[in-house]
Amino acid sequence: MSDTAKPEPRPAPESVLFWEAARRHKLELPQCSACGKHWFPPTRACPHCLSADFAWSEVSGRGEVFSFVIYDRVYHPAFADEVPYVVALIELAEGPRMISGITGIAPDDVRCGMKVRAVFDDRPGGASVPVFAPA
Amino acid sequence: MIEPSRDLRDICAIAGAGTSRLGRAPGVSSLDLLVEAARNAVADSGIHPREIDGIICRGPDDIYSHHQMIGERLGINARFSTTVANGGASQILSVALAVMAIRHGLATTVLCGYGRDAWSRTHSSEETRVRNETRPDSQLASEFGPEHGYYGAAAAHALGAMRHMHLYGTTKEHFGRIAVDFREHALRNPDAQMKKPLTMEEYRAQRSIVRPFGLYDCSLRSDAAGAMIVTSAARARDLKQPPVLIKGFGTHNNLRGWTADDNMIVTAAKQSGEAAYRMAGLGSGDIDTAQIYDCFTYMVLAQLEDYGFCKKGEGGPFVASGALRLDGALPTNTSGGQLSEAHAEGVLQIVEGVRQLRHTYPAGRQVKDAEIALISGHGGNQVCHSTLILGRDR
Repeated sequence: MSDTAKPEPRPAPESVLFWEAARRHKLELPQCSACGKHWFPPTRACPHCLSADFAWSEVSGRGEVFSFVIYDRVYHPAFADEVPYVVALIELAEGPRMISGITGIAPDDVRCGMKVRAVFDDRPGGASVPVFAPA
Repeated sequence: MIEPSRDLRDICAIAGAGTSRLGRAPGVSSLDLLVEAARNAVADSGIHPREIDGIICRGPDDIYSHHQMIGERLGINARFSTTVANGGASQILSVALAVMAIRHGLATTVLCGYGRDAWSRTHSSEETRVRNETRPDSQLASEFGPEHGYYGAAAAHALGAMRHMHLYGTTKEHFGRIAVDFREHALRNPDAQMKKPLTMEEYRAQRSIVRPFGLYDCSLRSDAAGAMIVTSAARARDLKQPPVLIKGFGTHNNLRGWTADDNMIVTAAKQSGEAAYRMAGLGSGDIDTAQIYDCFTYMVLAQLEDYGFCKKGEGGPFVASGALRLDGALPTNTSGGQLSEAHAEGVLQIVEGVRQLRHTYPAGRQVKDAEIALISGHGGNQVCHSTLILGRDR
């Protein structure tokens, strides 16, 4: 069962542009035109000030590990060959936090507070998924 | 801010409490488990079933309009009836809604409860296991998680545990202390799902699930249900059991998200508990026993801090002191909790709180001189919380 494909992102209407940018290896988030703040996951109104006036803007891709976990158990058969693997909560320099993967470092070496940068994992199905590597 | 009114303090009581069989009940649906618990709660209270004119329950996620099906199976037409959906915070929320309904004349006698068949569902086939553990599509975000292999409630709570370890030096041994102490309580409870002792050595050697959590940091998959009868304190005094008064309750919901702000470290238990303490006119020092929502070991530690039993960051040393044991400073999860008795999303914690306050347990199970119990509920997507403070009648 280990050859089962990893789940492809199935974009909600609000996040289509996030995934389109990711295919171009750009990390873009909605940014409020009223208060200037970014947010994630994408929605059509700013959760900071409720303005619906926003634009998609590229962010730095820089951030740090707010927290993380290491999967030893296989929950989904597509990840059978990946364990142990890390899932982290990344706090971007621009503020928003996102659940993501960590690459380029052994799971046991990951630490809270570790500086990371976004890289892109091109998936066989055509999607490109932002993950993070040590900065 | 409007708080639960202090004039709701002590006006209602839990007059009956019951559970279904706990653990493994293949072939019994979640609805039938709740019916079993409800029948036991009704019998415990001594009321006639036709006196029940309110039903508030949490349905399993796959059952629409759950309260209607429970009413049908119990043969009850209810004046006030609804299903709540705050995950593990639902059971105490149901009791709080019952008090408000009774106070305002919408009902006189309310059945609250919850049942689930989680053991049967996860053990019937590999397909159902995967479907259960990866959650139904309707509940799960289709992006921002699954593509990274982010599945399961354990990982979400483990994020909090890992950060707590980072901030405060909390250790795996601290989490282990919680698992070991609750198992010891379960061995005193003949109904508990777990029957074997758990040593710290076995805890250290446990199978890893999603670090920092291993198997014994995770609550059980259980077929289990519990139910309570809530009525006015005056009415309860005429019934079979000594009334257990509802002294305070509170709720809080960090809907901005578990991963937002500081929510995975200072949980919604803080504001929920403060509201409940204010309503009851009590503080953490007044609590004789706590029944804490223990979906994972870390959540016990975080809530003990949030409820003020120790300072933020000191939960590890607090549990290491033996405080949670039956003879400790704060006997906690005295039935074994969801880690070792059975997991029915917090309803069994309410039942245990009621039973401790009746003083009917044998020595070795009874919390000596327990007058006040604090019970917590936690759930939804880790952000909904509810608190119940119960007390013996004067």
